[in-house]
Amino acid sequence: MIQVIDVTKRYGQHVAVDHVNFTVEKGEILGFLGPNGAGKTTTMNIITGYISATEGTVKVEGFDILEEPEEVKKRIGYMPEFPPLYMDMTVQEYLDFVSDIKKIDRATKKRSMEKIMDLVKIGDVRKRLIKNLSKGYKQRVGLAQALIGTPPVLILDEPTVGLDPKQIIEIRSLIKELGKEHTIILSSHILPEVSAVCGRVIIINKGKIVASDTPENLSKRLSSAGRLSLRVAGPEKQVLKLVRELEGVKNAEVQGVKEPGTVDILVEAEMDIDIRRPLFYALSRAEYPILYMKSVDLTLEEIFLQVTTEEREVS
Amino acid sequence: MLAVFKRELKAYFASPTGYIFMGFFLLICGIFFAFSNLLTASPDYISVLSSITFVFLIVVPVLTMRLMSEESRQKTDQLLLTSPLSVTGIVLGKYFAAVAVFLLTLLITCLYPIILSFFGTIAVWEIVGGYIGFFLLGAAFISIGLFISSLTDNQVIAAVVTFSALLFIWILDWVIQGLPTDRISGIVFACALVVGVAALVYFTTRNIFVSVAIAVVGFGIIAGVYFANEYFFDGFIVRTLEWFSLLKRYENFMMGILSLSPIVYYITFSAVFLFLTVRVIEKRRWS
Repeated sequence: MIQVIDVTKRYGQHVAVDHVNFTVEKGEILGFLGPNGAGKTTTMNIITGYISATEGTVKVEGFDILEEPEEVKKRIGYMPEFPPLYMDMTVQEYLDFVSDIKKIDRATKKRSMEKIMDLVKIGDVRKRLIKNLSKGYKQRVGLAQALIGTPPVLILDEPTVGLDPKQIIEIRSLIKELGKEHTIILSSHILPEVSAVCGRVIIINKGKIVASDTPENLSKRLSSAGRLSLRVAGPEKQVLKLVRELEGVKNAEVQGVKEPGTVDILVEAEMDIDIRRPLFYALSRAEYPILYMKSVDLTLEEIFLQVTTEEREVS
Repeated sequence: MLAVFKRELKAYFASPTGYIFMGFFLLICGIFFAFSNLLTASPDYISVLSSITFVFLIVVPVLTMRLMSEESRQKTDQLLLTSPLSVTGIVLGKYFAAVAVFLLTLLITCLYPIILSFFGTIAVWEIVGGYIGFFLLGAAFISIGLFISSLTDNQVIAAVVTFSALLFIWILDWVIQGLPTDRISGIVFACALVVGVAALVYFTTRNIFVSVAIAVVGFGIIAGVYFANEYFFDGFIVRTLEWFSLLKRYENFMMGILSLSPIVYYITFSAVFLFLTVRVIEKRRWS
């Protein structure tokens, strides 16, 4: 469906995107994850034909962006990070204009506009000037603009940034819904968002792809360090000593006391060893009950750190 | 193209821009009409058309400053450039919208000669010819404004630079009179042009080889032309700058002469600036 072939973008000496290769299959929702300035937006701008790559090319349904840009652009709906809205138009006028520049048939225009306004729930503001809308509504108008013409490919650059939690959940479920009919590329710097919505994740850092996998595999691979957070009822020193002596425990440290008579500790296991059961039996035998135990999710920063160092070891 | 045209035209009248343009233009035109026709009871309407050209200096920047610069500032160019429209279509749509506002204003001023015709005979065809010239001159100025607007994302800068460019064209005929016309200065000027082009190529492509090649070929042509026809460089500066003298061509129209060459000149002039605008937008995507 989408092939990104050896795409490089240079701004003078600075390399924004460095030989990026990936493909997206029909019906897939691909997450594009990376810190600010990693090259996510640049890659998306290249796929949509907003800017040109220094080297390499992009193909959508077999059409090359350099050779047949109009065929490619017809097939893509793009929602940039800052929705491209004309502040002096009403929502309806704006969507009408977008339908015109996307060359939608006059006959079907009205009906498809109604459908899209229903879908993203902006029907009640259709007569209002865009400059008077709230951030959340502007974001939705931006999404509506991308949906016009029901393009087979949707590219969404940070679609939930700046929204309140309720709106974030709504937009996410909307994207999931859209994923049934569209191929979607979505960028984000929030890990849970990507793992909630996407079937596959590409992590990009400093213009290079550093990892590409399903969210499950990625987190499995990344959480192999197996970090657990525990709250145990018992004296600090004995509990810590017991845990440290357990086989497979690499490190354990006290995080503090949040409830009187208990202690919170962070346990790090050796690679590929599940220490949850031994930990439970050992502590229960000593009659130090575990009040809670949970695995600690890696933060995005830690994942990046891990992925980038892994890559260095491989190369 | 039609969609962009319609949107731009609406935008002119959804903001004060369109009204300021029309209002100011009609005010100046009305003042001149009152003083040179009504109060003096003169049927010579064409003199109004020739004396109000200075109004372009002020109103054309108002009309064009927003066109491209606002798109890149508001990032709405992302919508246009990722839609199946061609860049040429976008530029033409915007250009014709600005020209349409200008044409609409011009049509309103047609009332003045009609008023005059009630009181005596007017030279109808002379006035029609004058209007054609006036329209083409304005359209050429608008193409310059559109081009300058594509160079920046700041409306104020676009307006000031457009004003300066038009002012330069305005005083060009006066400047030309003071320029040297001897052979040496003509050759020096030609060499400076070649160096300028080569430097421009170097700063846009950073390719020293191509730039040097262009400079060498340019100097070769100058030398070749000199040996073939040594009188060629007499008055070369003046002849080159006269290409940009939009107002000189306009004088023909004001004398009631309607010939093809100034019409072709104005249309070509606008086409060149529209082409440059398209190139600027395309280039920004490649850099």
